[in-house]
Order: sequence, then structure tokens, then C-alpha cells
Amino acid sequence: MAVDVGRARRAPSLGGERLREAGVGYAFVLIPLAIFVLFQLYPMAYAFYVSAHQWGGITGNEGYVGLDNYRELWHDEAFWTWPPERATALWNTVYYALLVVPLQMALGLTMALIVNQAIFGRTFFRSAYYFPALVSSAAISVIALYLLSADGLLNAAISAVLGREFDQPWFGDPDTALESIVVLDAWTTSGTMMLFYLAALQSIPLDVYEAAAIDKAGTWRAFWRITFPLLKPAHFFVAVVSVIGALKLFDQAFIISTGSGGPAGSTMTAVMYVYTVTIKEFNYGYGATVGVVLFLIIFSLTLAQRLAFGRAEIGY
Amino acid sequence: MADRDPPVVPHVAAIRELATEGESEGRTSLPIPPKTVGERVRRATVYGLMIGLAILYLVPFVYTVVTSLQTQAEAAAGFDLWPEQASLDAYREIWSREDLSFVTFFKNSLILSSSITIITLFLATLGGYAFARLRFPLREVLFVLVLGTLMIPDQLRLVPIYLMMVDFPLTGWNLTQTLRGYVFFGSSIALATSLFLMRQYFLTIPKDYEEAAKLDGAGYFKTYWRIMLPLAAPAVAAVAILTFQGIWNEFFWANLLLTGDSSNYTVQMGLVQFRFQYQTLWPQLMAAATIAIVPVLVVYVVFQRYFVAGVAAAGVKG
Repeated sequence: MAVDVGRARRAPSLGGERLREAGVGYAFVLIPLAIFVLFQLYPMAYAFYVSAHQWGGITGNEGYVGLDNYRELWHDEAFWTWPPERATALWNTVYYALLVVPLQMALGLTMALIVNQAIFGRTFFRSAYYFPALVSSAAISVIALYLLSADGLLNAAISAVLGREFDQPWFGDPDTALESIVVLDAWTTSGTMMLFYLAALQSIPLDVYEAAAIDKAGTWRAFWRITFPLLKPAHFFVAVVSVIGALKLFDQAFIISTGSGGPAGSTMTAVMYVYTVTIKEFNYGYGATVGVVLFLIIFSLTLAQRLAFGRAEIGY
Repeated sequence: MADRDPPVVPHVAAIRELATEGESEGRTSLPIPPKTVGERVRRATVYGLMIGLAILYLVPFVYTVVTSLQTQAEAAAGFDLWPEQASLDAYREIWSREDLSFVTFFKNSLILSSSITIITLFLATLGGYAFARLRFPLREVLFVLVLGTLMIPDQLRLVPIYLMMVDFPLTGWNLTQTLRGYVFFGSSIALATSLFLMRQYFLTIPKDYEEAAKLDGAGYFKTYWRIMLPLAAPAVAAVAILTFQGIWNEFFWANLLLTGDSSNYTVQMGLVQFRFQYQTLWPQLMAAATIAIVPVLVVYVVFQRYFVAGVAAAGVKG
């Protein structure tokens, strides 16, 4: 507002024009803002409201219950246990994130380093690595189901190498189902991570490397001493994107397990748990509660990540 | 080795460098490093890794297309690099089925993706222009608010959005299981990112153009439509690609809001339902997967050219 007053004093005859500009400005952003209020802010508040109520699919809103839903979730052994056990929705998701995030970052960085070189055919290779990222989660999941089925391509390849019959049902065995989804998602998402790292690599000035060349630092040493630390902001950004994406895992697990989270609960993710409670069990109040708790976990994680990396940056 | 290369004349060398493009970059930038054994090993490792990764990344898709051209018996017989008699039977079969008809799904996906892309483009460019150029009170606060909505995760919104769409506030409409309802909600999916991208791009355009338009007596909308929008073509192309791809591939919300009547399913939903019902009809499933992938690929390839042309044009004018 202070700016407005200043300008108006300088050019009083334009006062009407300034008012018109502000009016047009509001008009241009009105619909987007209305959409955000309707589909983002209101639902967020509504989620907290629903979570404090007993709310069923057929019965509707049966009244305020305070923190009852949260208390129930605290003791819900399908959601989480202490000490952590696999086959609970929360720990499945955490386990998945712990595996997939480092894998995505390492693959993305490796591919970015490769296609950042002055090497023949790098445009082709860049497109090849990015291609799986273009493909929908549904198509990717169905293709993976085919390739990793007991008599699929992967087992055929392994059998050929081993020289004997190998028929591991990757998605049908509770010990390998979620791990297979980890590899699948690292494969599809690493192309996006590559693009983020590539942009960061290209912003590193070349004279940094020339200095290293004068020092006769080897390629490997130059990478760990110079490139890797200089990529710190990129590491942070990629890590945040990757963690948030990992905690959202739904499509692949849902499609691969035919919506059951099986075998033996091994692919039941946190978001699938919200979906199951809400859509299959019609327990809206409880579903909203799980959603709110997940939101709080993600929010504090993002904050913690920012603090951790922020401190590291000062150290550097 | 009888006819050796003639002695290299400088400008011929330059032309040759141009002709081999990517390969030359390493040679021209710095004095040529001695080709030590270590350097050769390093190069070989990089090439090996690069090609190995590319095979790993692309073979599944090649195999998908190959299987889609096979018959059920051929696919069941095991690994085969090329079908005995390539046929489009699998495509024909899924295209017009009684229960799950992919021609319907394809049409639905096209309608949803294009209409949401157009709505998003219009709202994001108009809003982005206002946030970048027009001065109004609370502008920055409102913009931060828009970016803040990106922090609200889908898992939090699942229940409230579902409840809202079943029984819409004030009107009581049931907006689930209708394409209209999905377009309405779907317009919010890519809007915040698009708005951000457009605003950032508009900020980089010099103000001279608008001032010239203002002298000509053009209003704000005309300035936006005639001057700013064409200048922002590369960003518009980027937003169009990202939105179309995002909605075409979208499964989470479609599954939540459209499940029920299969005549409203998207390609992605149809593919998943087909898998749920016909577990291992692999040729048909791979044909459906191919249909789900191809449009995004086409949009990407076509628009990428437009994208490059836009950047080049901007470079020439600027």
C-alpha cells in the first residue's frame, strides 16, 4: 500500500488508472484463487473437521467425537506398531522411502553425469533415460506385472544366466513385492531426477574444473571434491521431491496388488490405507484422521529436511 | 589405406567439426589431453554404462510393443524377440469390447486432457500476467498463498474432496462419475505450478512491448492476448505439455472420482480394470498399455519442436 500512495502522489492524474489496473488485476486472478480456495484450502480445513467426527458412509455425520479417531489410530496395528513391523501401512511406506530415495538420487546423478559429458549421441541417451518418466503409472505397473511375472522376461533372463529354471513370483511373494516396486519406481522416476541434476551441473562454472585440471586432480577426486559438494542445493531439492513422492505411493501398489495391498499386507501403503478405510470401509471420519496424521508427518519431515540442509550449507 | 585423407585445411576441419556435432565438443573446448590408458579405460566405462543403462531403460517398452503384436498362444509360449506373424488382433479386440471399450476410454481421456489443458492454460497465463505485471494490493501475499497450496498433500485431501464431490457444498450436486465433475476438479491439479511457471516467464519479458501497446491505446486484456501471450510461446508450450501429460497419465483422482460407470473411464482406468478382470491376457494388456503411452509421446515430440522453434524465435528477436 505504501508504494501505491507514493506513486499516486507523483502522478495524481493517474489515480483512476491505478484503480482500474488493480481492478483488472483482481479480475484476472479471481478464478484461479477461487479454485484454490475451493479445492485446496477448504478441503484442508474440512479434513480436520471430518477427523473430529464419527462419520460413516451410510449413516453420515453422527456427531463430534473429539480426538477419539486419533486415539483409535494410535492403537491401530494395521497402521503402525511399536517396535516397527513390516506389513503395517506406515512402516511399509517408511521402508519404501528409505530404499527408493537414495536409489533415485544415485541413479539420477549418475545419468546426469553421463549425459552432461561431451560424448557422442548424448541427446539420444538423455531422451532414452527420460522416457520412462513420461509413461503413466498405470501402464508402467501393468508392464512390470508382465515382465516380473513368474514366467516373465526377467525370470527367463535369470534362468538363462543360471542355466536352470528360475520362477520367483516377484510381486506374489511378501518378501520381494514391495522391493520390486522400489526398483520399478527408481527406474521410472530417475529420469526426472536426472533433469534436475543436469540443470544444476550445467550451472557450475567451467573455470572451477580448469583450476582442478591445473592441480592435476583426477576425474574421480575432482567429482567428490568439487562437483558433489557444489551440488548441495540440488541434493536438497531432489531429496525433498523424492521423499514427498515416496510418501505418496499409491498407484503402483494399488494396481499391482489389485487394490488389496497384498500379498500379506506387504504393499499396503499409507495412502492406500486412507483409500481403503474411506472407499472400501466407508469410514470417512477415520480416513480423514489418517490423512491429517500423514500430512503432519510430511510437513514436519519437510521442515526437518530444510533445517538439516540449511545448517549443512553454512558449514560449507 | 591407398587413398589417404588429403592434408587437412583449417576451414575444412571446422566444417568437419560441425558435421560431427556432439562428438567435437570435447576436442574444441580444451587442449587435447594425452590419451593415456587411464583415459581410455574411463571412456570405455562411461560408454559401457551409458549403453547398458539405455538398454535397461528401453527394452521393457520394446518388449511391450512386441507382445502386443502377438497372439495369446505365442505370448504364453515364452520369450520371443519377434512375433511369428505380427498382427493387430489384440488392438482390434480391446478397441471395441462390450464391457471395456478402449475407444470410449480413449475418447474420454482426450476430452478430459484437452479441456483441462485449455482451461489451465487460459487461467495460468491470465493469472500469471496479472501476478507478474499488474499492480494491486496484496499481490505478493496472494501469490505466496498460491504457492503454499502446493504443500497440501493429496492424502489429506482424499476424504474431503470425495465428500465434497459426492455432495457439493450449497448446491448438493453429485459430481462423481461424471466427466464434467472431473474437469471441474481437474482444473485445480496443474494450476499452481502452471501459474508459477507463467509468472516467472512473464517477468523476463522486457516492458517495452507493453508500453508500446499502451501508447496504441490497447487495454489490459488486449495487451495480454495480443502482446504477452505470443511472446511467452515457449512457456505456454511447456505448460501445455506438462498439463496434458499430467492429466492423461493421472490415475489417483480419476480412480476416486470416476469409478462406477465404465462409460466414463479414462484410458488409465480402463487399463487397470482390464488387468483386474482378465489377469494375464498379456497381448491385450500390452496393446492397452501401448495405447495409454502413445498420445503422451506424440504430444511430447510434436510440442518439443514447437518448443525449440519458440526459443529460437525469441533468441532472434531479443
